[in-house]
Amino acid sequence: MDKKIELACIIDDDNIYVNLVKKIIETKKLCDHLLIFKDGKEGIEYFEALLQNLEEKHIPEVILLDINMPVLDGWGFIERFTKIRNKFNSPITLYLVSSSIDVRDINKAKSLSSVKNYLIKPVNIDELEAVFNKSA
Amino acid sequence: MTEPALKKNIISNNEICYWELINNTSHWSKAFIKELGYSKKKVVTTIDFFLDHIIHEDYRAPFKDNFYNLVRHDVDFKQNILLKNKEGKYLEYICKTNDEIAVDTNINSKTIFFFKTKLKTHKKVRVDNFYYQETATMTSTGSWYVDFEKKKSYWDNITRKILEYPDDYIPSLKMGYKLYAEEHQTLASNAFFECGMSGKPFDIEILMVTANNRKFWARAMGKPVFNDAEQIIGLRGVFQDIDDVKQKEINLEKTSEIIASQNSRLFNFAHIVSHNLRSHSSNLSLIVNLINEVDKEEKLELIENIKDVSHSLNTTIEHLNEVVTIQTNAQQAKEAVSFAITLKQVATSINQIIKTTNTTIVSDFTSIEDINYIPAYMDSILLNLITNAIKYKHKDRDPVIKIRTYLDFKDNDRVVLEIKDNGSGIDLKKFGDKLFGMYKTFHYNTDARGIGLFITKNQIESLNGEITVESELNKGTIFTIKF
Repeated sequence: MDKKIELACIIDDDNIYVNLVKKIIETKKLCDHLLIFKDGKEGIEYFEALLQNLEEKHIPEVILLDINMPVLDGWGFIERFTKIRNKFNSPITLYLVSSSIDVRDINKAKSLSSVKNYLIKPVNIDELEAVFNKSA
Repeated sequence: MTEPALKKNIISNNEICYWELINNTSHWSKAFIKELGYSKKKVVTTIDFFLDHIIHEDYRAPFKDNFYNLVRHDVDFKQNILLKNKEGKYLEYICKTNDEIAVDTNINSKTIFFFKTKLKTHKKVRVDNFYYQETATMTSTGSWYVDFEKKKSYWDNITRKILEYPDDYIPSLKMGYKLYAEEHQTLASNAFFECGMSGKPFDIEILMVTANNRKFWARAMGKPVFNDAEQIIGLRGVFQDIDDVKQKEINLEKTSEIIASQNSRLFNFAHIVSHNLRSHSSNLSLIVNLINEVDKEEKLELIENIKDVSHSLNTTIEHLNEVVTIQTNAQQAKEAVSFAITLKQVATSINQIIKTTNTTIVSDFTSIEDINYIPAYMDSILLNLITNAIKYKHKDRDPVIKIRTYLDFKDNDRVVLEIKDNGSGIDLKKFGDKLFGMYKTFHYNTDARGIGLFITKNQIESLNGEITVESELNKGTIFTIKF
């Protein structure tokens, strides 16, 4: 853990969860800044807009993505994100974080090369620390 | 009656056809000569004349053998035979020697009896024809033939019956397409064309139309008819009325669809239970996890979070409860529910929203005024779909909701309720399969809870109905409910 993550991104519609993760990140000082989007559409629009004005400090290193969200769900986000991710010069690590224990979801996540890992909620503090360490 | 007396009796009977051979001379009975259309003078009653002029060539050789065996070796025989009368018409007989008919024999005379079997054959043909007719009638299979050379088509009576045309109806080639339902005319013309051109036989299930304009499912089979030069000169085939079977098949498919959709709802429900309850429990455990890590002040803050979790958990459980009770409530007594009265009640209950949004509701229930239904469900269905239409109104115009009932002629006259709005529409390509799912919302409205359509669909399906949706972005949405 030589280099700390500067910017991480959470895309999740569950406010309570988001606040708790935020608290953990702050308490454990896992990263400096945190972007939060409440559904896939808000998330993807951020990345698509970012392409127009590419500033490295605005590109998150880690994305924690929920699956079940209104408007645009996690799968929809990944579909659109995969098309543009190579245009960012810096690596972006994508984690799916969901309370779904449906094997179809888990298998689908495994089949996608753009997904680094599938975390089942509740994530505990150790797991979160590991995510932020590994990507460092 | 003793046996010789019997024989005497028979022989003396003028009606019997026979030959009597006495010392190698054959005597033909009067009846036999008469049957063959000859007069006694003009006939030569010898075996040679018989073989040359009377017996059909196919039977000549065996009869000759039998005859000489009888004369020379006293071997009795029995055989079928075709005899030509004077006019040249063939008659069918069975001939038997006296031994064969078990009558006492006179040592010096040998007798060959000829019994007409024409009647029997007729009977046989009639019996065969009867079986053919019965099979065709019972299986509702009519035959047809199209003659390319004469440009004519022929039907048997069963075909006329199946297609409800009068018995004396003469079909023509031109009217062929009329026999098929509009949606299947291309299918029919393709099958006939391909069969006529390349000789490919066909066997298809197709919707046909009778003379009385009644549609029914038929199995149509056809194959080419070739001439000696192997050119296709016509088509031959059958139509079979399979409407009963096909309707059953369609019903079975429908039942299977209902079961599949019930199954998918159950699965959805299990998923919801798993996902929605899990998300709360995981939040709880995350809080507990975190409480150990933070100082006192922050601990109190986290306890506040537990309240939030508890509140959401309650809401979820209420929703799940709502879904579960639908299945139980489906057993409730149905009663006549008036569409107009229910709509009035619903409109009154959301009067405030209707006024503030300037919503217009136009209704036409003249076609069907009421239906046997669970009143609370009708209430809930109308309320959900109307509030939905208002919630997702188009930003540039006031909501206009048109509600009507009608009978679906294509689907056993089922009662249909249609709710059409001029709202913002839904992108069905994107959300079609999720529209009726639980906790699925597709709009940015903050009050979207994603439970209304799920409940509505469950209520309709629990009473064996169907709900479908058509929508176009920026134009509006039509919900169609078949009861």
